[in-house]
Amino acid sequence: MSVSIGQYHYDQVDRDFLSARIGEFSEQVARRLDGSLTEDEFKPLRLMNGLYLQLHAYMLRVAVPYGTLNAQQVRAFADVARRYDRGYGHFTTRQNIQFNWIRLEDTPDILRLLADVDMHALQTSGNCIRNVTSDEFAGAAADELVDPRVHAEILRQWSTLHPEFTFLPRKFKIAISGSPNDRVAARFHDIGVVARPGSDGRVAFQIFVGGGLGRTPIVGQELYPAVPEERLLATLEAIIRVYNAHGRRDNIYKARIKILVQALGIEAYREAVETELAQMDVARYRLSPEMVSSIEARFASPDLNAPDNAADVLAEQRARDFVFDRWVRSNTHAHRAAGHIIAVVSLKTPGEIPGDVTADQLDRLAGLSERFAYGELRTTHLQNVVFGHVRQDQLYDLWRGLVEVGLGAPNFGLIGDIVACPGLDYCALANARSIPIAQKLGARFADMSLQEQIGALQINISGCINACGHHHAGHIGLLGVDKRGEEFFQMTLGGRADDQAAVGKILGPALPEDDTVDAIARIVDRYLKERSGKESFLETLKRVGETPFKEAAYDVV
Amino acid sequence: MKRALRVGAGEGVVITANRLLDGAIVWLAADDIWLTRMQRANVFEPEAAVERVSALQSRAQSDGVVGIYEIAVRPEETGPMPVTMRERIRAFGPTVHPQFAYTAQEGVGA
Repeated sequence: MSVSIGQYHYDQVDRDFLSARIGEFSEQVARRLDGSLTEDEFKPLRLMNGLYLQLHAYMLRVAVPYGTLNAQQVRAFADVARRYDRGYGHFTTRQNIQFNWIRLEDTPDILRLLADVDMHALQTSGNCIRNVTSDEFAGAAADELVDPRVHAEILRQWSTLHPEFTFLPRKFKIAISGSPNDRVAARFHDIGVVARPGSDGRVAFQIFVGGGLGRTPIVGQELYPAVPEERLLATLEAIIRVYNAHGRRDNIYKARIKILVQALGIEAYREAVETELAQMDVARYRLSPEMVSSIEARFASPDLNAPDNAADVLAEQRARDFVFDRWVRSNTHAHRAAGHIIAVVSLKTPGEIPGDVTADQLDRLAGLSERFAYGELRTTHLQNVVFGHVRQDQLYDLWRGLVEVGLGAPNFGLIGDIVACPGLDYCALANARSIPIAQKLGARFADMSLQEQIGALQINISGCINACGHHHAGHIGLLGVDKRGEEFFQMTLGGRADDQAAVGKILGPALPEDDTVDAIARIVDRYLKERSGKESFLETLKRVGETPFKEAAYDVV
Repeated sequence: MKRALRVGAGEGVVITANRLLDGAIVWLAADDIWLTRMQRANVFEPEAAVERVSALQSRAQSDGVVGIYEIAVRPEETGPMPVTMRERIRAFGPTVHPQFAYTAQEGVGA
């Protein structure tokens, strides 16, 4: 395949490994079908290859390392969606993509198709280190201090098939950012890594541990303020080794590292890591400048040349087309290079399923990335897609191409940009449906002028306590619960996943599904009445407290 | 996936599973045949269903099914109706894609 931007390039060793792994899984599938393997024996094997059995069919979760894709890979997703699914893919809150209608016997063929474009489904399930996630604006954002993708790739290689960490007490999630503005929810990960320039000219890493959502939402705590680059892998190895040794394996609900960190306390956890480091052969894990450079060399960089008048062209087009102007206001981010801009494609078209894309839309995204963004795309943990490097004078044509396939919603970061897990419509773990209420909320607040008036307001919806929709981190969070066949939603307010991460507080008793949308509408109305000047929802909530919103939600005034 | 079975007054139990090959949902009908149409599922008393599930587990491979369990249903004119939203979605398809709904005539996976 041709060299692409923003990605680590596989070599023959990588490809041979993937091929062998698919061959192995293909044999396992055959043995399951002929009865040589029982379901109990086969289940951990299929999960190691990203294959779940959900409500209606098998679901294949494909890894998108640190959320970066090239056009060929996106076309491969479209191919999978058409040939093996029902025409859709679904982007998840882990920057991955899921296919919901997979047949077991087709899986090896799908994995071969994906391997042809250097993709796989390894470590998208199981009690191992999962796909390392990163900043969707990596390498492009004006506010970035360090491009985190090189170290994300180093972490990917270190964690892939790590023999010691293949059977951890529970799944393990790492996110890495290189910006002071946390766009990866670093404090809600088992390990959150924030890269920044170190005093020695190399990169240093702030390390958070013990964050997470799910049944026990906890904000991660700083373990180290600035780990030198050469000790990054040793430090992570020690952190996870302590967890692997002492994490609980007797209770699935208490098995994550966050429970261990809470039980020991951050000081004791740090001491345990230090003890581990003292007895490790740290030199073996040393990340030398040469090693970092060798990985960096496997990334191609875009040639960021734009005409001198690119910004003027964009300004003229914005002045001519107010719909485009609104989209630019909400769905773009400042780029580090003159004449360029970052564009966010909202997968939250009002009334549609958050994160869903059709095969045709995937093909269009691939084509647009080739025309306007150096053939590169990123997925986001907020279930959107990003074009990282767009010339400002070409942004209008990109936007028109998106609008033609229903992907021009100007709602990034606004109330319509709803994050939702697949919920009970697809997921075997869910208790309630997430998607229908997301669709209703999307439709209720579809008016783009209203969304812009409301401003930054993130709604997150989970269909069960496992919190794949990150409801605890939503400014407004909804958790679906089942009461004997009837869906109710428990509401939380004040959650956030940025550098001021906080767990949302439960507002009161769960509301019936029919009342929840109206309750949120009343909360929003109350916010618009209560806010002072240009206060955001979170700022108003902080100033006035939850009482007015509680009154509004339960309609007691 | 099996969940705690709660059977209310006037309710019965049907037995369900997923087809091994494609994961499609099936229900146990007369003559121990697995069908993709829930309307034709056999309705059991709860205790009888538990015993039946146990027996069916041993031949799941030859039947080509996986994850056998029992669910509560209410009798309705069109046939047994699952009590929980989860099982209604399994029986009739995801609520968010009308084109993927399972019809009484064609059943699951049509």
